[in-house]
Amino acid sequence: MTNLPASIRPLLRRLQRRLTVGLFLEIWPRWATGSLLVAGTLALLARIFFASAASILPWLWIAPLLALLPALILCARHAYRPAEIAALADSLGGGHGTLLTIFETGAAHPFTMSQFRMPRLRPWRKLSAVLAAAGFLVVALLVPQRIPAADGRTVLANDVVADLKTAVEELKSEELLTPEEEKNLAEEIERIRKDALNRMDSSSWEAADALREKMAAGLSQKEDALNWAAESLARYAAAAQAGIPPTSAQSEELADAIAKLAENGLLSDAPSDLQKLLGGKDALAGGNVKLPKDPEALRRLAASLAQHLGDRSARFGNIRRLPREPGRFNPSEFGEFNYEQGPEGNGPPGSGGINRGRGDAELTWGDESLPFDRFKSAALPPGSVRSPDDWSPVTVLPGAPQEAPELSGASSGMQFSGTAGQTAWRRTLSPRHYSAVKRYFDNSKSR
Amino acid sequence: MTPEARTLLTQDEVTAAQNQIGKLVHQLRRVILGKEAMIDEVVAALLARGHVLLEGLPGLGKTELVKALSRLLSLEFRRIQFTPDLLPTDITGSHILQEREGRKEFTFHPGPVFTNLLLADEINRASPKTQAALLEAMQERRVTTFGETRPLPDPFFVLATQNPIELEGTYPLPEAQLDRFMVKVDIIGVDQPVLEEILMTRVHGEAPHLEPVLNLSELHNLFRATDAVHLPRAVANFISRLVAATHPRTKSAPEAVSNFVKYGSSPRGAIAIGAAARGLALLRGKPNVGFDEVRRVAVAALAHRLVLDYSAKLEGWDGHRVIHALLDAVPDVERGLPQTMEAAKG
Repeated sequence: MTNLPASIRPLLRRLQRRLTVGLFLEIWPRWATGSLLVAGTLALLARIFFASAASILPWLWIAPLLALLPALILCARHAYRPAEIAALADSLGGGHGTLLTIFETGAAHPFTMSQFRMPRLRPWRKLSAVLAAAGFLVVALLVPQRIPAADGRTVLANDVVADLKTAVEELKSEELLTPEEEKNLAEEIERIRKDALNRMDSSSWEAADALREKMAAGLSQKEDALNWAAESLARYAAAAQAGIPPTSAQSEELADAIAKLAENGLLSDAPSDLQKLLGGKDALAGGNVKLPKDPEALRRLAASLAQHLGDRSARFGNIRRLPREPGRFNPSEFGEFNYEQGPEGNGPPGSGGINRGRGDAELTWGDESLPFDRFKSAALPPGSVRSPDDWSPVTVLPGAPQEAPELSGASSGMQFSGTAGQTAWRRTLSPRHYSAVKRYFDNSKSR
Repeated sequence: MTPEARTLLTQDEVTAAQNQIGKLVHQLRRVILGKEAMIDEVVAALLARGHVLLEGLPGLGKTELVKALSRLLSLEFRRIQFTPDLLPTDITGSHILQEREGRKEFTFHPGPVFTNLLLADEINRASPKTQAALLEAMQERRVTTFGETRPLPDPFFVLATQNPIELEGTYPLPEAQLDRFMVKVDIIGVDQPVLEEILMTRVHGEAPHLEPVLNLSELHNLFRATDAVHLPRAVANFISRLVAATHPRTKSAPEAVSNFVKYGSSPRGAIAIGAAARGLALLRGKPNVGFDEVRRVAVAALAHRLVLDYSAKLEGWDGHRVIHALLDAVPDVERGLPQTMEAAKG
């Protein structure tokens, strides 16, 4: 465009920039719309079929940005050439050909060129398609995630280790686990889960309980070490404050307590100056703790250690404040299972609800849920009275009848026997009584 | 794009040419009142050395325009009144047996075609055989008789007139003949104010007295200047797209062309547009052709070159209407604004 007069050059450059923007707004919306539609489709598929991909779905919003790359490449490839810009400018200026002639010949044109008005950008129609596609993606992302039903064994296996995982997370958040302990626990939990997947029986729950106990024991051990170190430090400090030089026993006790702390990983995140006063990281890792001889260093050690122990103690406090022991089932969290509370648990027995009333509730009659017309009460003769009418053969045994001496003397049909502390009774029901009871409890017809 | 160093007409050259053409146009406008656009088209075609077909009802000044031209240009002028019994040799001339120095020999007697400005009045009244006598003359600017080819004077123009409404005893011009006319100018009636002015200035309808305004040398200079008018490549591209779109089977053909045109324009149509646009640009005092000149001459240069099918007549479409539709459909610049942009209005 160097051939053109200086007066028209800025205008043409402006036209060139505007054409570039117009071209970009023509190309990019197509790609952005396409990418958003593809992203929306992927989001829908993930929502319906691939629950595991849910975490990466927000990244689909970068689709229009990715579409920038091909759009820019196409813009560069289809950019308006100077001759095309000159022709457009000439046409916009009335089509007199003056601009084109100067552009092509480079000669000074004897006539003035007519100015032209810049074309206007009208991108809204193209951009509305992008907005519609973005709306589609929003809708696709708002679709609730469909989680495919796992098989019962997987659910149970996950349920067995769910509490354990929660407990590990809680301990980890309070920095009460060393990386090695965390790794070991994760391996243990995974092993339990896999075992439960292969074979689901009481051993899985027992293994989970064992691991839970182990975690609790480890936690208790750490707390003990912390308490011991705090007490040793207190005694050591009290002696030093009283102006009495600490005894070697006190020093050794404090050194042992600190070694115990290090052994339990409670000094792994101690401040660097504290670690340096205790002989460095290597010494702590090897359990070879040496207290400094210098009184000033000892004073600094005591102050730093007290602060560290206070911090760690607060963390244990946080764990204690947790609503339940880590990993342990706490029925109070599940109000619906609390049989002593709630309207349904306190209702009259047999009135329905989650339970059937308290176990010690008084039995009431006439409020049964069974249909009343199925069993009609009829007065029966006393069951113990034997009359020839009440008899009916129960079974026919081969051979001669054997005498039953325990029954022979019982005229009331009731016999008491047993040793001290044990009482048992057996009553022989007459067949009519027997059949009445059987009919009463027989539910097969009511189903 | 590397600019090619081309010679552009200087401002003085353009101004001088415009002044000379202006005199001619001014005098023609004195003779033919209220027909400025038609006069511009005829003059533009003459500057491009093209033949002109004037079509209009009787009494609209077709013949008067040609006669005025001949007087103003101081060119040799002949008129042939085409009649059904006119023979080709009546136009081209013929060999006559003559006795010279005791010997008899054929001597060629040139016909009226051997002139600078030939008025073929009511050309469609002659038979196609006679009309065809002009084919070689118009295209090659020469005449061949008895195996001898004779060049016509330079310049040579044919200005033909025809009446569009009388069909009885007329012979429509064949396509080959029509194609040789650079432009076909339709002459329509005059407005009432113009008519009033004619009544006030001409008692018997006689034309005002005219003096030549251009001699042969000046005319040749104008021809050279016309040829030197710059045709930008983008404008040439527009002409080529315009002519290509007259063919109904091309992708760029608009609906009107697809529906009503049987055969489109020949390349001669594109050449005619370019040449006439050059002439019009010089008439307007421009050293170059622009899109607007092309649009201005496109109808006159293309409409008579289209062969329309019968449905066009049934639907009331003619060549002019088709070319107007074509001009609406074909943009100036091949690669227009992006779809997200629009030209500012006003």
